[in-house]
Amino acid sequence: MVLLTERDSPPPAARLRLVRPMNFALTVPALLLLVVFFILPVLSLLLRSVMEPEPGLGNYAALLGSTTYLKIFLNTFVVSALVTVVTLAIGFPVAWALAIMPSRLSSIVFAILLLSMWTNLLTRTYAWMVLLQRTGVINKTLMGLGLISEPLPLVNNLTGVTIGMTYIMLPFIILPLYGVIRKIDPAILQAAALCGATRWQALTRVLIPLAAPGMVSGALMVFVMSLGYFVTPALLGGTANMMLAELIAQFVQSLVNWGMGGAAALVLLVVTLTLYAIQLRLFGTARMEGR
Amino acid sequence: MLLNFDRLGGWKWILLGITGLTSAFLILPIVFIAALSFGSSQWLIFPPPGWTLKWYAMFFADPRWLEAAGTSFYIAAIVTVLSVLIGLVASFGLVHGRFIGKEGLRALFLTPMILPVVVLAVALYAFFLRIGLNGTVTGFVIAHLVVALPFSILSITNALEGFDKSIEDAAVLCGASPLEAKLRITLPSISHGLFSAAVFSFLTSWDEVVLAIFMASPTLQTLPVKIWATLRQDLTPVIAAASTLLIVVTIALMLLVALLRKGLKS
Repeated sequence: MVLLTERDSPPPAARLRLVRPMNFALTVPALLLLVVFFILPVLSLLLRSVMEPEPGLGNYAALLGSTTYLKIFLNTFVVSALVTVVTLAIGFPVAWALAIMPSRLSSIVFAILLLSMWTNLLTRTYAWMVLLQRTGVINKTLMGLGLISEPLPLVNNLTGVTIGMTYIMLPFIILPLYGVIRKIDPAILQAAALCGATRWQALTRVLIPLAAPGMVSGALMVFVMSLGYFVTPALLGGTANMMLAELIAQFVQSLVNWGMGGAAALVLLVVTLTLYAIQLRLFGTARMEGR
Repeated sequence: MLLNFDRLGGWKWILLGITGLTSAFLILPIVFIAALSFGSSQWLIFPPPGWTLKWYAMFFADPRWLEAAGTSFYIAAIVTVLSVLIGLVASFGLVHGRFIGKEGLRALFLTPMILPVVVLAVALYAFFLRIGLNGTVTGFVIAHLVVALPFSILSITNALEGFDKSIEDAAVLCGASPLEAKLRITLPSISHGLFSAAVFSFLTSWDEVVLAIFMASPTLQTLPVKIWATLRQDLTPVIAAASTLLIVVTIALMLLVALLRKGLKS
C-alpha cells in the first residue's frame, strides 16, 4: 500500500466531496411519481367535492345531513371498533405467550402468522365466505352437534364482517405487541412477585401497564386500517351494513357522482390522517399498511 | 413470574390454549380451501363426497384464468424492477444526501402506506379517465408502483443505514471511481435490503385488489380482479383451485426468503 503524505494528496474531505454529489436530485424520480400520480390526483378528487355539480359545500351538506349516510359512518366506526376490541382481546394473550414460549413452539406460530398475512386477501375472504355460508361447515357442525336447529345467518351481516376483518387484522396487532412484551424486563415481574403481588395483581398492575403503549399503538393501527377497508366488508357484509370505503366506490362506479365521492373520500381521509397524527404524536413511529 | 414460561403454573395452559386456538383460526381457512379445491362437490360440501382434479382442469382450460395470471405476473414483474430501481436511487439520496426537509420527504414517501387504498384508487381512476390510462398495463403499473414504492424505500433505507458509508469512501480513496464503489462495495452489502424490497414490491402488486378493480377493463384484468368478478357471481370451486395455486406461490416465496435469510446469516 502506498502511503500518501498530506502534501501529496488533497485532504480526504475535499476528495470525498466528489463522492457526495448525490442529494436531493436522487429523490426526484420517486418524488415525481408521488406528486403526479398520488398527491395531485387525490387533491383534484377532493377539489371536485366542492366544485361539482356546482361550487359550494352542497355535497358535504348532503352527506352529513342524510340519515342513510350517517348510518354508514356510524357502521364504519362500529365495525372498526368491534374488530379493534376483539383483535386486542385475542392478540394480547397470544403476543404474551409468543414472547415467552420455547422458540421451537413460537417459530411454528410465527410461520402460521406469516403464512396467513401473506396469503392473498381475496383467498382469505373467499375462505370465510365458504365457511360461513348457510350450508357451510360451521353451520353444519353446529347443527350436527345439535346446538342449533336452523342455520345461523353468519354472512352478509355484522358477524361476517367482524370475523373476516378480525382474521385479517390479528397479525397486525400480535406482531407489534410481541415486540413490546419481549422488551419488558422479566426482573420487574419477579420483583412484583417478591413484593407479594399475586399473579392477577402482577398482570393488571405491572404487565398490562407496561404493555399499554404497544396495545394503544396497535389498536389505533388496526382501527385506522379497518376504517378504510373495502374488499372484506364488500364480500362478507350485507347491504344493511355498508362501510365508508364501499360508499366511496359506489358513488364513483355506479352513481358516477364525483362530487359526493370526493366528499366521502375527504371524510375518510381526515379521520385517517387525524388518527395517524395522534399515533405519531403519542409514539413517534407509525407502522401501518393499508389495503 | 409472568414472563417466565416455566413458572407460569396453570396460566401457562390458558395462554397455550388461546395461542393454539388462534393459530388454528388463522391456519384452518387456508387448509380448508386447499382441501376443498380437490373436493368433488360443486357446492363446496365438507367433507367432500369424493376427490377430483376437475377444478384445476377447469382453471387451466379457461384461457381467461391463465391470461389473468399471466397479466398479474407481467405487471408485478415490471413493478418490482421499477420499484427497486427508483427506491434504491431515492434511498441513496435520503440516507447519504444532505438537504433541507430530508426527514419530511422521507415521511412523505411513506404516506401511500397509510392512505386508504380506496381513496387513491378513485383518485387515480378519475385522473386516468382523463389521460386514457385505465385498462392499460401502464395504468396498472403506475397504480401499483405508487403503493409498492414505500415498501421498497423502507427496506432499502433500513439496509443503507446499517451499512457503514466509510467503507465506500475507503474504496474511493483507494482509487475506485464513485460509481464503481457503489456497484461493487455498497450494493452487495445491502443486497438483503434490495431482496426484501423486491419481494415486498412483487407481492404488493401480485396481491393488490382495490386499485386493480378500478384500473381493469374487460380485456385487461389481473388474477385478483378475475377472482373478485367470479366471486360476485358464485363461490365456484374453481376459485378454490386458483386460491390454492396462489397459496403455493406464497409458501414458495416464504421459503425462498427464509432460505436466503439463513444463507445471509451463515
